[in-house]
Amino acid sequence: MSHSGKELLKIKGLVKKFGGFRALNGIGMDVGEGCIVGLAGPNGSGKTTLINVISGVYRPDGGSIEFCGRSVYKLPSHKIVRRGINRTFQVPRPLSSLTVRETVKLAAVYGTCEGNKEETIRQALEIVELEGVKDVVSAGLTFAQQKMLGLATALATKPKLLLIDEIAAGLSHQELFKISQMLLRIRNTGITMIVVEHHLGFIDALTSDVVVMNAGGNLFRGSIQEAAQNDEVVEVFLGR
Amino acid sequence: MRRRYLQALSVIILVAVVFLLLPRFYSNQSFLFNLMLYLGLAEGVNIIYGFTGYLPFGYVGFFGAGAYGSAIAITFWHISPFVCVILGGMAAVATGIVLIPLLRLSGAYFAIANLAASQALYLIVANPTMEKITQGPYGIDLSSVYNADAGYYTMLAVLVFAMVVVAYIRNSDFGLSLLAIKEDRVTASLAGVNVVRARSIAWMLSAFVAGLCGGAFGWFTAVFYPSTVFSLDVSVFTIVFALFGGVGTLAGPLLGALLLYSMYNFIGISTPQYFQLFYGFLIIGLVLFLPDGVASILQKGKVYVP
Repeated sequence: MSHSGKELLKIKGLVKKFGGFRALNGIGMDVGEGCIVGLAGPNGSGKTTLINVISGVYRPDGGSIEFCGRSVYKLPSHKIVRRGINRTFQVPRPLSSLTVRETVKLAAVYGTCEGNKEETIRQALEIVELEGVKDVVSAGLTFAQQKMLGLATALATKPKLLLIDEIAAGLSHQELFKISQMLLRIRNTGITMIVVEHHLGFIDALTSDVVVMNAGGNLFRGSIQEAAQNDEVVEVFLGR
Repeated sequence: MRRRYLQALSVIILVAVVFLLLPRFYSNQSFLFNLMLYLGLAEGVNIIYGFTGYLPFGYVGFFGAGAYGSAIAITFWHISPFVCVILGGMAAVATGIVLIPLLRLSGAYFAIANLAASQALYLIVANPTMEKITQGPYGIDLSSVYNADAGYYTMLAVLVFAMVVVAYIRNSDFGLSLLAIKEDRVTASLAGVNVVRARSIAWMLSAFVAGLCGGAFGWFTAVFYPSTVFSLDVSVFTIVFALFGGVGTLAGPLLGALLLYSMYNFIGISTPQYFQLFYGFLIIGLVLFLPDGVASILQKGKVYVP
């Protein structure tokens, strides 16, 4: 849609099998630099699997993933992270015994060779507003704070592409608004994003470029309003 | 951060000075040697268990590999026993490299597989067909190079090395990455940590320490059998000592090994029946009330334990 021209991520014919089940069945997607792409679809359509495959948490079984013109297909996570892709989890996975600062420091030290480490840590904590609890052990944070810590950890690796997996799930209305503002600020620092979300209003506030998945493949790409007019989209979400 | 290194350094210097001077005032060198041996082994277990969470029930395999590696080098090559102790450490690292695939397992499965591996090594070494190399079940005799004092100070050097390694891990980014792997492998790798490499390095460092301990033990004792250096008691004692003191710190395993091994010596040998009773209660108490070891009492009081 509104890219500045250059494609950052190119995915073609991606396949991920779990036994006989194809969670990803040939999905393809291009993401332009500096954009936010919403990723929607009914439960089980493969959104989170796609995030897991791009970030190297799952190994794909076919297709191709190109990032900045180079293949990241089947690379282990830590290499993908160092190439400039990171992600957050729907259910946070904190490093319970480490403090907030230690967690972010780990990412700043191992996830990137760019920039001043202290400055990176400070910025990441500032964006997600966790400076006040930086010496608290992760296990002692609230659910919302743990989600923010996941985001700060990802940011500290200086990603070019950030994959946000259902960050709104389980958060209050007030928190939602704050987070959408935060994501827009992050985008304005030049970070491209793919945002997986059930909450269509949340996606609408962020972008008019939405990919709708179904059964591990592409169904639709366009704005939320256009999607609502599309018979196929309405059918997979609501049934015939 | 510098302050923490200084605290760790003072612990290391304290321990080193004590074991350097103690033989002048206390004549039971064998007890002091064994105490150092268990302090060193407990720190070795600490590297792998305390920082990555893998419980190495077959830890004695590295100890035996070190003892035999060193003894075979002494017997066949006639080089300085001190060099041979280091070669013993290398033999343990080689064993560790062979066992790296075990790190794909977790929890009890890893512990059992590691235990089995150590016993397999024992059976290979003790096999009569290996007599030309290992002397099989008939044991090793190093009495031609026997030198108790040299063995003692070599063990002291090994102990200092083990403490330095733990102090480094405890206070470095590398140690932080190991703790992260222990907590959640996926999160650690998404922070950019090469999980496979980091845990393999910890595993080999841990093996190296046990191998050095084994080499020093062989030199100090001069005569030993496969059943001595592959005894499961070594694994169990070491793990209990480390856990009792509190893993993940430098001082914890030292404290645990010091308290429990001394107790074992003072009442365990003269009145084993009371010792076992007491030991049993102690372990029950540990599991119920202090699962994180003695060091955790201080940590709960917000005291930093080096």
